[in-house]
Amino acid sequence: MRRIGVFVCWCGSNIAGTVDVEKVREAVKDMPGVVHSVDYQYMCSEVGQNYLKDAIKEKNLDRIVVASCSPRMHEATFRKAAESAGLNPYLVEIANIREHCSWVHKDKEVGTEKAISLTKAAIAKATLNEELVSGTTQVEKRALVIGGGIAGIQTALDIADAGYLVDIVEQTPSIGGKMAQIDKTFPTLDCSACILTPKMVDAAAHPNITLYTYSEIESVNGFVGNFNVAIKKKPRYVDMDKCTGCGVCIEKCPSKKGKSEFEEGLATRTAIYTPFAQSVPKVPVIDKEQCLKFKTGKCGICSAVCGTKAVKFDQEEEIVNQTYGAIVLATGFDLIKLDNFGEFHNEHPDVITGLEFERLTNAAGPTKGKFVKPSNGERPKKVVFVQCVGSRDKSERGKSYCSKICCMYTAKHAMLIKDKYPDTEVYVFYIDVRTPGKNFDEFHRRAVEEYGVHYIKGMVGKVMPEGEKLMVQAIDSLSGTPLEIDADMVVLASATQAKPDAVALKRKLNISSDLNNFFTEAHPKLKPVETASAGIYLAGACQGPKDIPETVAQASAAAAKAIILLSKKELTNNACVSNVNKNICSGCKACSKMCPYDAISIKMMDIYEHGKVIRKEVAEVNEALCQGCGGCTVSCRPGAIDLRGFTNKQIMAEVDAICL
Amino acid sequence: MGKIEMILNAKEDFKLGKIQMILGWKKEDESIESIPAFIESVEELEELIYDEYCVNNLSKYLIEEAKNGKKVGIFLKKCDALGMEQMIKDNRILSENIVPYQVECSGMKDFQTGEIFKKCQKCLDESQDKYAEVKEIENMTHDERYDYWMGELSKCIRCNACRNICPACNCETCVFEKKDEDILGKANNESETGFYQIIRAYHVAGRCSDCGECERICPVGIPLGKINKKIIKDIEELYGKEDDDTLSSFNLEDDDTFTEKKGGK
Ligand code: SF4
Ligand code: SF4
Ligand code: SF4
Ligand code: SF4
Ligand code: SF4
Repeated sequence: MRRIGVFVCWCGSNIAGTVDVEKVREAVKDMPGVVHSVDYQYMCSEVGQNYLKDAIKEKNLDRIVVASCSPRMHEATFRKAAESAGLNPYLVEIANIREHCSWVHKDKEVGTEKAISLTKAAIAKATLNEELVSGTTQVEKRALVIGGGIAGIQTALDIADAGYLVDIVEQTPSIGGKMAQIDKTFPTLDCSACILTPKMVDAAAHPNITLYTYSEIESVNGFVGNFNVAIKKKPRYVDMDKCTGCGVCIEKCPSKKGKSEFEEGLATRTAIYTPFAQSVPKVPVIDKEQCLKFKTGKCGICSAVCGTKAVKFDQEEEIVNQTYGAIVLATGFDLIKLDNFGEFHNEHPDVITGLEFERLTNAAGPTKGKFVKPSNGERPKKVVFVQCVGSRDKSERGKSYCSKICCMYTAKHAMLIKDKYPDTEVYVFYIDVRTPGKNFDEFHRRAVEEYGVHYIKGMVGKVMPEGEKLMVQAIDSLSGTPLEIDADMVVLASATQAKPDAVALKRKLNISSDLNNFFTEAHPKLKPVETASAGIYLAGACQGPKDIPETVAQASAAAAKAIILLSKKELTNNACVSNVNKNICSGCKACSKMCPYDAISIKMMDIYEHGKVIRKEVAEVNEALCQGCGGCTVSCRPGAIDLRGFTNKQIMAEVDAICL
Repeated sequence: MGKIEMILNAKEDFKLGKIQMILGWKKEDESIESIPAFIESVEELEELIYDEYCVNNLSKYLIEEAKNGKKVGIFLKKCDALGMEQMIKDNRILSENIVPYQVECSGMKDFQTGEIFKKCQKCLDESQDKYAEVKEIENMTHDERYDYWMGELSKCIRCNACRNICPACNCETCVFEKKDEDILGKANNESETGFYQIIRAYHVAGRCSDCGECERICPVGIPLGKINKKIIKDIEELYGKEDDDTLSSFNLEDDDTFTEKKGGK
C-alpha cells in the first residue's frame, strides 16, 4: 500500500474564495493509500514547503499530491521540496485546482466538486507514479541570432563579449535593419545612423561573431543545448572573400532602374548594389531579376571592371549546417500595406508613410535631406500627419493593437519639419496621444508648446487630390466641427505588423505566436524573453511593437539568458521521455513519422520472447532528443510506446477516478 | 492476364524454386465454398483453383508466411492487393519477399445464397455514389445518428472477427490484448463495446483499404463499412486523397483550421 500525502492549497483567496478547500481535503482523506491530508494558505511559501518536507519524513510518505495552481507555476518548487526531503521528485503530482477550478467557476459548489474530481484523479495517478531519473547532455557553446537589426546586433555583441561564439543570420544583404533607415531617434533626436553604424562595425569586426547576411534559416532540429540549424546562403553572385567593396561595379552597372528597398522606393538602384552606403558587409549583391546578364546574357560589365574578379555569375545557393546551444529570435517587424485604405489616396506621391518620411528628411536620403514633395520637388508648406492608420482598428483591414511607436515618431517628424522650416504649418490628427516612456510626454509637449504643431483629436475621413493640393477632410471630435485642410503633403502612421515569414519561422522553431503572428513569450511577467521552447529567446519587435530603447533592453536581456545557458557545463534532460516495449512493437514506424523532434529511429534487434530469440525491427527512442510531448504514444496502435510519468495506465487511472 | 495463366505462372515459378510457398484458394470436400490454400509441395499444386467463390483476402497471411525471408507467391484480387500494399507501408512485410499474381475479378458470390456480395456490387458498379450510405447518415440529426449507431453497435459480441480479417489491423500484439492496462474487460457491456468499436475504427483510419471484409465477416451484421467510409470521406475532404500518412505524421505545414462540430446526446 502506498503512503500518500495530500496538500490542498488555498492560494490565499485565489483558490479558497471559490473552492471549499476543507471539503476537498475531507473528500479525499480516506481514499486508498492516503495517509496524510492537510490544507494550508500558501503551499508554495517556505512554511508550506516545510509542511511538505516534515510530513514526508514524519509520516514516511512515498507519494505526494499537491492540489494547487498550475504545474507550470510550481511543479518545480514542490519537486525540489520533495527531493530535499529524500523523495524522488517525480513522485509529486499536482492537481490544478486554481486555473481549472477557482479561476473558471463562479459557483463555489461547482468549483469544489470539480476540485474534488481533479484531486482524486491526481491521487489515482500518484499511486502509479514511479521514480524517474533524468540523463544529461552537453551544451554547444555557440549561439544563433536570427535577424540583424538593432535587436540582433545588440544581442550578438553582448553574447560575444561574454566570450561565446555567435552567428547572426540576416535575410537582407546588410545588417542594420529598420533602425538604419531612420533619421533621428526619439526622444533625444540622436542621429540614428551615428549610434547604429559603430555597432554594426563592431559586430562585423568582433572575433566571436560570424555574419551570415543574405541568408535564411532553412531548418531547425534538435533541442536546447544542441540545435542543429541549416542556414541557406542565397547567392550574392559576388565572392565575399575577393570583393573589396570598392563599388566600381555599382557605378558602372547600366541597369539602374531597380527600386531601392532601403529608400522605401523613393530612389532607384543598380542591379548590382549594396542597400546603403554604410552597409555591413560592404559586399554588393546582384539582383537577378534586374541584371542584364541574367536576363539577356549580354552585359557582364561589373565583372569586367572588377579589379579582384569577385563577380561570379555561376555562384550557387549554399547550405551551412551548424550546431547551437541557444537561439535568439530578433526578426523585427514590418509596416502594413495600405492597399485597403483607399480613402487616403496612398498611391499619390505626396501621400507617404512614416518610414518614407524618414528617408525624405535624411541627409543621406534620396533628396539629400531636403524636405520636398516627391511629386514635384517643391517644399511643402502645409503638412498633415494622420496617426493610427490601421492601428487600434478592429476591422479586417487593420490591426487591433496599438503600434506603440507612431505617436512618438509623428511628434518627432513634426518637430523635424519645424526645425528646418519654421514657417511650415503642421497638423497631427490623433485618436489619443500615448506617451508612456521616459521623457516621452515631455517630448510630445515640446512639439505642441514650443513648436506650435496643431494637434487635432479626430480621424481623417478622406484625402482628395485637387490640383497640386491634397484636400484633407476630417472632424475635430472635441468641438464637432468638420475641417478641410489643403495640405501639400500627408504622412500616414501606418500600423506595424509581424514579418510575413513569422509563421513559417515559428513552425521551424516549434514556438508559438499570438493572433497577430507576433512570437509569444513563455510568461509575460516571469519569463518575458523566453519562449515556451527551452533555449529559444526573443528580442525586439518580433514579439510585439517596440521602440528602440525597449528593443535594446530586451536584446541585452535575451543575451543574458542565452549566456546563462551557454555557461552551463551540461543540461539535465527531461525525465518524462517515452519508452518502447520492444515485445509489443511491430516496427510500423508510425511513431517515428509522428515525432516532431526526430527522436525515434527503427532498428533491427534481437528480442527475447518466451525463451526464443526473434529478430525484428523495433522503435528506439533517443532520450536526449525526446521532449516528452507524447505524440508518439497516441500514434502507436498497439500501445507499445509509453511516456514515462504519463503512462497509458496512469492516464486511465485518472479517467477512472473522475468517471467511475 | 487470364486467371488460368496466372495459376500456370505461379506453378511454374514454384517448380523453378522462385517461390517457396503459394497462397491461393482451394476446395475442400464437396463444398462449393473456396478456402485459403497454403501450397508448399508440388503435389499440392493441383489443388489450386480460382472461381467466383474466392472471396477471402489472403494478404494478411503474408505476415506470418513471408517472415524470415521466405519467398511467397500470392493470388490477389484488386481489393486484396490494396491490403498488401498497406502492410508494406506499415513495415509489416517486405515487398522483396512477395511475388504477387493479380487475378481478375468480376465479383465474388456468397456460396450460401449464390448472390454477388454487396461489397463487390459496389466495387463493380462505378456509377454508384460510393458515399451514398455515408451521406444518408450524415443527413440524420445528431440524436437519430446516435440512436442508429447505438442500435447497431450494441449487437457486437466482440468476437474480434473484424479485427482478425482486416489487413490494416496488422500489429504484432493488438492493444486489446495488452493485459496490464485494463483497456477492455471480458464482460459485454455497452461502454466497453463502444470503446472497442471506436478504437477499431480509429486504428484503421487513414489506412483502411475499403476491402469490406470486416463488414462481410461480422456475424451479427454490423455495417462497419459505413464507419470506415465516413472516415475515408472525411480524410479526403480535410486532407486530400494523396497523402498517405495523414493521421500519423508531423508536418510543419499543417494548418489547424478545423470547424467544430457537435455530436448528439
Ligand atoms: S551584369 Fe548585371 S549586375 Fe553586372 S553590370 Fe551588368 S546588369 Fe549590372
Ligand atoms: S514523446 Fe514521443 S513523439 Fe514526443 S518527442 Fe518523445 S519520442 Fe518524440
Ligand atoms: S508506433 Fe508503436 S508499434 Fe509502431 S514502431 Fe512505433 S512503437 Fe512500434
Ligand atoms: S474494409 Fe474493414 S477489413 Fe478491410 S481494411 Fe478496411 S477496416 Fe480492414
Ligand atoms: S466482427 Fe462484428 S461482432 Fe465481431 S467484433 Fe467485429 S463488429 Fe463485433
